[in-house]
Amino acid sequence: MIEAKNLYFKYDEEFVLKGINIKIKEGCFTAIIGANGSGKTTLAKHFNSLLTPTKGNVLVDGIDTRKDEFDSRKKVGFVFQNFEDQLIHSIVEEDVAFGLENLEWSNNIIKKTVEQTLDKLKIKNLAKRNVNMLSLGQKQMVALAGVLAMNPMYIVFDEPTTMLDAKNKNNIMGVIRDLNIKNKITIILVTNVLDDLKYADRVIILKDGSVLYDGKKYKLNKRIMDKAGLNDK
Amino acid sequence: MINKLYFGQYSHKDTIVHKIDPRLKLIYVFALSVFIFTLNKYLGILFFTLFVLLIAIASKISMKKLLQSLRPFYLMFVFLLVMYLIFSRNQLNQGIVVIWRFLMLLIMSYVLTYTTTTSDLVAAIEKLMKPLKIFNIKPRNIAVMISITIRFIPAMLLQFERLRESMLARLANFRNLRHIKLIMLSALEKMFKSASNLSDAMQSRLYNENAESHKIMRLSSNDYISLLIIAVFILVIY
Ligand SMILES: Nc1ncnc2c1ncn2[C@@H]1O[C@H](COP(=O)(O)OP(=O)(O)O)[C@@H](O)[C@H]1O
Ligand SMILES: [Mg+2]
Repeated sequence: MIEAKNLYFKYDEEFVLKGINIKIKEGCFTAIIGANGSGKTTLAKHFNSLLTPTKGNVLVDGIDTRKDEFDSRKKVGFVFQNFEDQLIHSIVEEDVAFGLENLEWSNNIIKKTVEQTLDKLKIKNLAKRNVNMLSLGQKQMVALAGVLAMNPMYIVFDEPTTMLDAKNKNNIMGVIRDLNIKNKITIILVTNVLDDLKYADRVIILKDGSVLYDGKKYKLNKRIMDKAGLNDK
Repeated sequence: MINKLYFGQYSHKDTIVHKIDPRLKLIYVFALSVFIFTLNKYLGILFFTLFVLLIAIASKISMKKLLQSLRPFYLMFVFLLVMYLIFSRNQLNQGIVVIWRFLMLLIMSYVLTYTTTTSDLVAAIEKLMKPLKIFNIKPRNIAVMISITIRFIPAMLLQFERLRESMLARLANFRNLRHIKLIMLSALEKMFKSASNLSDAMQSRLYNENAESHKIMRLSSNDYISLLIIAVFILVIY
């Protein structure tokens, strides 16, 4: 379980997150939705210890992200909004191996895991390709492979559909759903479009750094959406 | 052009030179580079040249491509020659030798990058630097730095090109100093943003400066034979 307890955070003077209390249970598919600048990315980065609270706590399976960066980070994978900047090596299979090298796994197991991961995401054909030559959708799958290979319990996707065309959007959403259902990975999907909520069990709406709504998706109504500035245009 | 940037000169071929352990290849290039500078006799230099060309042929390098890749340096060679002609005509021989040595260095590095992928080279550098760990230098940091440079330079150039086009589309004029400043600043801003994302990404992927590349490099009988050939060559010519 990932838990934010009375979480406050500020980059400069002003608080960007203002007293967030949420619990994300294992196995579920949670969407965090909010308008631009509502603090979604800032919140998501707390789950991965990339940011730590100014006040309050974030716990990943009971581990305080402030106290044990490494262990909490190992449990939570992160696919960035700018996933292109997430790829470190030029050759796909080497990039996927990067995190595994950091974990100091043995060479043979790294090789095998890289292969299996690429296979799982159906991008084995990209193994030897140069990431600079891939399409955006493919780059995103490689970024995901690099995260998935490390076998995290949770994966955060920060606006995974924003940069993609309709076909790639559907594809990545399908892959995310599969990870949740088949591989039992807890999904935290950060988004600002209502379309992306289709597979979510639960929705958390952020507005100006506070939780405006937290509950089942089917209980959402237009009034709340309007209030969050998320109504369909 | 972009293709060249991404892949360097590497060309996937099935030759003995391609198969030699990249660590050894790096060492050979280094050793031979030092060696050519100790050679003074013409006969030695001639044999050296033949040896290097033989290796180039064994790597299935097309001579036409090789000459093409050296083209940027021709002007420099001509310039050096002219300098010798003007200022120290009596040392012209010396000048030709200097240029010749330089040419050998260029051909050897061409052979190296033609037969070895950049990522193998980076991994080899990392492995070769392992002993530096006792001086608290982390080979992983250096290797990852090189990899990131190779990965992001083409991306940066592409981004710069996009920025340039979008400014041109809005009638920017790059003879105008203000516009040059503007494109530089925007490019820098983008670069810093990418760098900050990258550093986040490395942290989130648990970057560990004590880790090692997972590439397995083990010397095979081929490698030992190559070692023997190079050693014998150096000893005989010397
Ligand atoms: N690195 C930063 N430094 C200062 N302020 C930031 C930084 N990143 C984001 N912010 C500010 O924090 C607020 C929330 O940003 P963010 O979490 O990125 O929102 P979202 O992801 O919902 O669009 C915004 O007002 C933004 O300007
Ligand atoms: Mg964001």
